[in-house]
Amino acid sequence: MASSAVEFLKQLGSGIRQELPESVSGTVRLDLREGGHTEHWYLVLHNQRVDVRRSPQDADLVLCGDREAFDQLASGRRRLVESLMRNELSVIGDLQLALSLRRILPGPPGARHPREFARQEVERR
Amino acid sequence: MRRERVHVVTGNVFAVSDAQGDMEVDPRTPIGLFSFDTRFVSRWVLTVDGERLQALSRDDMTLFETRFFLVPGAASHYVDADVSVIRHRSLNDSFNERLTILNHSAEPAHLVVRMDVGTDFADISEVCHPSPRETTTVEASSTDGVLRLRYQRQRFSREAVVSSTAPGEVDEGGITFRITVPPRGKWITDLHVAMIIAGGAGHDLRSSLESHRRQVRHDMRADLQAWLDHAPLLVAEEGGGLARVYTNALADLAALRYRPLSFPDRVPVGGLPWAMTLYGRDALVTGLQTLAFIPELASATLRLLALGQGARLDDFHEEEPGKILAEQRYGESAAFGDQPTAVYFGAADTTPLFVILLDEYEHWTGDADLVRQLRHPARMALDWIDEYGDLLGDGYLRYLCRNRRSGLANQSWKNSPDAIVHRDGREAAVPRATCELQGYAYDAKLRGARLAREFWADPVYADRLEREAAALKERFNRDFWLPEREHYALALEPDGTPVETLTSNIGHLLWSGIVTEERAAAVAGHLLSPALFNGWGVRTLAEGQLPYNPVGAHVGAVWPSDNSLIAAGLRRYHHDEEASRIAAGIFAVAGLLGGSLPEVIAGYPRPVTRYPVQLPVAGRPQSWSAGALLMLLATALGLRPCGDNLLVNPALPEELGRIELLDIPGRWGRADAYGRARPTLTPGHRVRRPD
Repeated sequence: MASSAVEFLKQLGSGIRQELPESVSGTVRLDLREGGHTEHWYLVLHNQRVDVRRSPQDADLVLCGDREAFDQLASGRRRLVESLMRNELSVIGDLQLALSLRRILPGPPGARHPREFARQEVERR
Repeated sequence: MRRERVHVVTGNVFAVSDAQGDMEVDPRTPIGLFSFDTRFVSRWVLTVDGERLQALSRDDMTLFETRFFLVPGAASHYVDADVSVIRHRSLNDSFNERLTILNHSAEPAHLVVRMDVGTDFADISEVCHPSPRETTTVEASSTDGVLRLRYQRQRFSREAVVSSTAPGEVDEGGITFRITVPPRGKWITDLHVAMIIAGGAGHDLRSSLESHRRQVRHDMRADLQAWLDHAPLLVAEEGGGLARVYTNALADLAALRYRPLSFPDRVPVGGLPWAMTLYGRDALVTGLQTLAFIPELASATLRLLALGQGARLDDFHEEEPGKILAEQRYGESAAFGDQPTAVYFGAADTTPLFVILLDEYEHWTGDADLVRQLRHPARMALDWIDEYGDLLGDGYLRYLCRNRRSGLANQSWKNSPDAIVHRDGREAAVPRATCELQGYAYDAKLRGARLAREFWADPVYADRLEREAAALKERFNRDFWLPEREHYALALEPDGTPVETLTSNIGHLLWSGIVTEERAAAVAGHLLSPALFNGWGVRTLAEGQLPYNPVGAHVGAVWPSDNSLIAAGLRRYHHDEEASRIAAGIFAVAGLLGGSLPEVIAGYPRPVTRYPVQLPVAGRPQSWSAGALLMLLATALGLRPCGDNLLVNPALPEELGRIELLDIPGRWGRADAYGRARPTLTPGHRVRRPD
């Protein structure tokens, strides 16, 4: 589990991401604000891969917010759609890419496999 | 007495008022102006010289447009019948109301017209007990004629902007117009309410989204007309009643389409008033029901649900990789995690239904591109059935609620807490494997196999799915069949004990094809027996068992959507007469009630009530009820794609007489279908050249 968004982003760009449909492609820029300055992370989604670099280039989707908001996403404690609905992240462009990006974000810590959960439930009774 | 409610609706925007057009908070039901699951106006009351108005009549022009004809004063005495008022209310992405004050006398009328305006920004999920919210009046400007009300929680904000074309005095509680209407003259103002969802810097979120940027405010009437013109034309012989029912169903479906934030196309919401958002099950079933009429609904639904497919494990939202969502909302309680509805996955049927719809959609439209484009999500959905849906590893699809705080105990279409019970009323042990889920899983595997073989170039996977489907059918017919009762069990408990209750679920089994040929007649017999069939349709649960309750949603009442799948299943097994009795019953309900078909009616026997009894909780209009009428029509005509042709094999109930359905869209271009009630007359069809 990544402890920060930056750590999460750094480990992103290696290998195939099975969770991503092959048909997904596009560019996403994450603008992490902290204090007076903004870090720009640039993600290219293609062929079930995510290439990550630092760049302020234009992208199909731009997500902008405080570093803390991105850290919460990277920790799995906040869902991306909730961050958007709470307006903790602002969004410009193709929101479909945000839903694709969601597929590679971690889930909440401690979540159970439904089979494991069912086994415990049946044993408990 | 229950007061009359008047609604206007388009997409996920709706307004509910009383018969005079006034809106005042009622804790029992959502009254007011809503959009994106938020009440933007909770008080909207018109007075003339301090007096409320009385309705003379009303013209419900379309689902999005109503005119109220009013006079000042109470019902018993018209204080000033020299003046009358017309409120012309309409919706697009905002709320519009044109007030016309008519002076019928020969003298000028000096009047004080006031619109009280208030809001609580309640979330639809807590509208019965709204928590107090601090609403700020950002602007109350008589100069600009604008009242701007806002609710803010951290960065989350919602704003209602009320404006008037005629000058008025704006205060925090409304707008007052001191007017003089000339003799025999009139005064007009257009009131407008814009509903703003925070997107930063006072802008509406939608303005920054590509999916919504191209959206111009379209002409609602032209949009509706185009929708009606695009659908097949129904020519019905009997007195025009059927044609009206058909047009109403199409109009309901037009009104209940909304454009999600992430998406350029419109998909069906569940329906008014509680389900004005995307429900995976309702949208998928609506897509299935409308394939012969408006296949665009299915393709938009499939693409959107693929986009929102589950990707990881999350107990609160009951998410698993590959799962298709149950419900999605935009309200405050979703945003702040008070409810799991930002994306809720508590449904065990949506995922197999997704695969079923994708395959069925291709059969009708020949749109192979979409099947290839959605290979990954469809494959993940098929994997989900075994990896996450088979909770006990015994080969059956089950559900078990992991969100104890606010999740659903029952995660099939009968999702009320008391729906899955034994004949003596005992709750079934969890995790539950309801029978229709096994039918869906079986069907999904077979359909997945076809898609894998024909479009995904994966014959090995196709073979595997077919083997699994065959094994499931065999297992199911061994474990769920009740030889003494001659029907399938409603569900299996974890230890394999059958829940023997006789329910409508067995009708879905016919639709899925999991029933062996020799058992179909017994199942059909039960479905049309007096215990299940009440004359209008098949009850959710048969009379004569302890849990039966004719006004219980899932334990005795009759659902048109349920019946549309059952009728299709009956025809699949050549029980045409039984299917046509169901079609006749549901069409009779629609014809008698007029307007939109509700989601459910009471299960009382038809000979006793003679008129369909509506339940106060029943939503209306509802997408899958409107869709049910279309599917029943297609079933009665026996429409079925076969290769590149449309097969027509009518089995019409006598009540429908002779019907023609013209310009049925599909891979054949457009085709026509004819049918007569009498089976002796030859059915026919004609295929036109593709457009």
